[in-house]
Amino acid sequence: MPHAARSALPPGTPAPGSTSSPRATGTGPARPRRVGTALAGAGAVVLLGLVAACSPLPYEPPATPAAQPGQDAEPVDEAPAEPTAPGAPACTTLEASRAAGGGSDVDPATFPTGPTTATFADDAIHPIADAPTPRLPVTVESADGRQVEVTDVSRIIPVDLYGTLGETVYSLGLGDNVVGRDLPTGFPEAADVPVVTGAGHALDVEAILGLDPSVILTDATILTDDVRGQLESSGIPVVYFDGARTLEGIDDRIRAVATALGVPEQGEALVERTDRQICAALSAVPKETGRPRVAFLYVRGSAIKMLFGPGSGADDLIHEIGGEDAGTAIGLTQEYAPVTSEAIITAAPDAYLVMTTGLESMGGLDAMMAIPGLAQTPAGAARRVVDMDGSRLLTFGPRTGSTIASLVEAFYGVPAPELPVS
Amino acid sequence: MSAPVTSPAGAPQDGSAPVPDAAPDEGDRSARVGPAVGRGRRRAARWLTVGLGVALAVLTVVSGMTGQVPVSPAEVLGSLAHHLGLDWGPMPSHPQGENALWVVRFPRVVLAIVVGAALACSGALMQGVFGNPLAEPGVIGVSSGAAVGACAVIVTAGALVPGTWVAAAAFLGGLVTTFVVYALARAGGRTEVVTLVLTGIAVNAFAGGMLAFFTFVADPAAREQIVFWQLGSLGGATWKSVSIVLPIAAVGVTGAMLVRRRMDLLALGERAAQHLGVDVERLRQLVIVLVALLVSAGVAFTGIIAFVGLVVPHLVRMVCGPSHRTLIPASVLGGAVVLLAADLLARNAVANVELPLGMITSLVGGPFFFYLLRRTRSRQGGWA
Repeated sequence: MPHAARSALPPGTPAPGSTSSPRATGTGPARPRRVGTALAGAGAVVLLGLVAACSPLPYEPPATPAAQPGQDAEPVDEAPAEPTAPGAPACTTLEASRAAGGGSDVDPATFPTGPTTATFADDAIHPIADAPTPRLPVTVESADGRQVEVTDVSRIIPVDLYGTLGETVYSLGLGDNVVGRDLPTGFPEAADVPVVTGAGHALDVEAILGLDPSVILTDATILTDDVRGQLESSGIPVVYFDGARTLEGIDDRIRAVATALGVPEQGEALVERTDRQICAALSAVPKETGRPRVAFLYVRGSAIKMLFGPGSGADDLIHEIGGEDAGTAIGLTQEYAPVTSEAIITAAPDAYLVMTTGLESMGGLDAMMAIPGLAQTPAGAARRVVDMDGSRLLTFGPRTGSTIASLVEAFYGVPAPELPVS
Repeated sequence: MSAPVTSPAGAPQDGSAPVPDAAPDEGDRSARVGPAVGRGRRRAARWLTVGLGVALAVLTVVSGMTGQVPVSPAEVLGSLAHHLGLDWGPMPSHPQGENALWVVRFPRVVLAIVVGAALACSGALMQGVFGNPLAEPGVIGVSSGAAVGACAVIVTAGALVPGTWVAAAAFLGGLVTTFVVYALARAGGRTEVVTLVLTGIAVNAFAGGMLAFFTFVADPAAREQIVFWQLGSLGGATWKSVSIVLPIAAVGVTGAMLVRRRMDLLALGERAAQHLGVDVERLRQLVIVLVALLVSAGVAFTGIIAFVGLVVPHLVRMVCGPSHRTLIPASVLGGAVVLLAADLLARNAVANVELPLGMITSLVGGPFFFYLLRRTRSRQGGWA
């Protein structure tokens, strides 16, 4: 999971590297001892420079609390009911949902305690249309600024780290055209489609070319610069999408995928349904959640503890279900970071959110609580651990509504609301 | 190594060669050195030991007081006193302060001391038995060998394998690798620097291949443990890991203290040592087992932490000469100080974040290694 956003897909072609420093060419071996001392000095300077350069890289001082709109807004009152475009439901954020009168009446005393597995009542893909006929060709702007002409969508390969694009293509009703997939796009409808990612979340270019796709949809969560160059020089149309995984970006990504595949009407319909599902899910969030502080953790072994923070998408989800993201609260400024045991104790989360496979690989709850620092928090004392299928957690695709509903059920014991499927 | 042997034994600041300047109970050599130098070094050794002891005590207290969970120095002392049964001083005011100290911070501090001492001691011993100043667990591949053993167990038995198994496998891997390196790098009773370093390259390359293979076949959980092994970290320190590592390291350090006199004799050359009544072969085998013990203690729960075993003994020699009588205890103290300081940096340099400890020691140790090369080159024409 912590491989997200590897290449930033800069617009244009930067061609990095090639800045060899042409210095220290003519220093003869004048006085070895002085050279040695100078080298030692230079080593120290390089070291200091490294430390200085490294420390601000992961973290800037927590003075900028991540300019996220509505992050610090009071949950219930004073959420401005902003006028939105007619047709779009004005309840796709928790604030808006509550302002519109949403929220269930649940006594916080009845919230579940202890370990909970988030489940999905309905895990199926519900295509918005039945094999719609695309209008082609279309020319779309890829996320890196290129104009890409798509003439044929009979053989689609949608791949990214989270399965978002695959989920979107299937939800648009074009699932039968998908010839290759990533691992998270593993729902029953796609299970027979060959996987084009090898070990370690890398794209296997030869596997992709072997499937003879007519269009490739992907984004920066899985691309490397090499693969990008290979794909583009193959002549197959490659369309990139925004790699950020946030609640806000869902609608635009669905629209962009639908447009690139020549089915914009179905895209609009899917956006509308996705929004309605998110609204329905958010309306089930209790009016009084007590703002539980939730730490989204990725733990491997006792020495690797990754805590997710602002921009990871986890912060968004936690905020929308009425909680407080622990990573953001202790001043992390990047998506995830290897944290110390004491940082987790300081964060004092009320609950841990983990991926089901991660919990299993740790050896279960007891093994997780044996890791220094995890048991020494309110969440650890209450053994409050919510685990969820990792392929559903950070997808931010058309099924986000059911992800939120499942989280709401797991955190507050509210029966998952019925989501509109048409 | 051949060069320093021929240089006058008492050459001042001959820091890079593990040759004893003057074992005082040997008349002929100390006569050449002169009493002044010998006394000066002995005084320096005493001051160094005392200084390192004080530094270790201070650093231990500072480490105990530093961390993300705010605990004041008085509260740390109060908590310690309460655990010793004294109702004295304030308890930590942070709700998890007591836990932060006793579950997270203190085991980590203790483990840093034990591992640092074990690594530096193994470096000093290894340099003595190889008769070679560049011998170091990380450089000649013994750490990698131990890592291969540990990772083999992690891969075959799964990521949830008990820590004792991993430690045992690390010991076996370290032992086998030490013997292999020793056998391969030795020719005609000598270990040339170039041969040793090249052997280290070969062993490290092979171990790297094995680790890559294990990384390839491992499931994701085991894979991340393998990666962690190569980074080195004290982040997972618990009392349980301390309870396993501490006895191993204690045996190793005690053994090293017992053989240090004979190590000095060995440094005179094999034949001389033989004539002085040392069973050279048995001593060598004993020291290699000690080295493997110490290295396995140094890596079992913390992964590969390079260069501590190289830097610390060299620094000690620069101050008080190469006699093992002072080198071993001073290295033990020095290693504990260095690793405690490095870990303090690793967990506090960037707020909330755990920096890889092996990264820090390598960033410091690599340039130091380079400095040693240059220094020896300028003084003795280099290591042939």
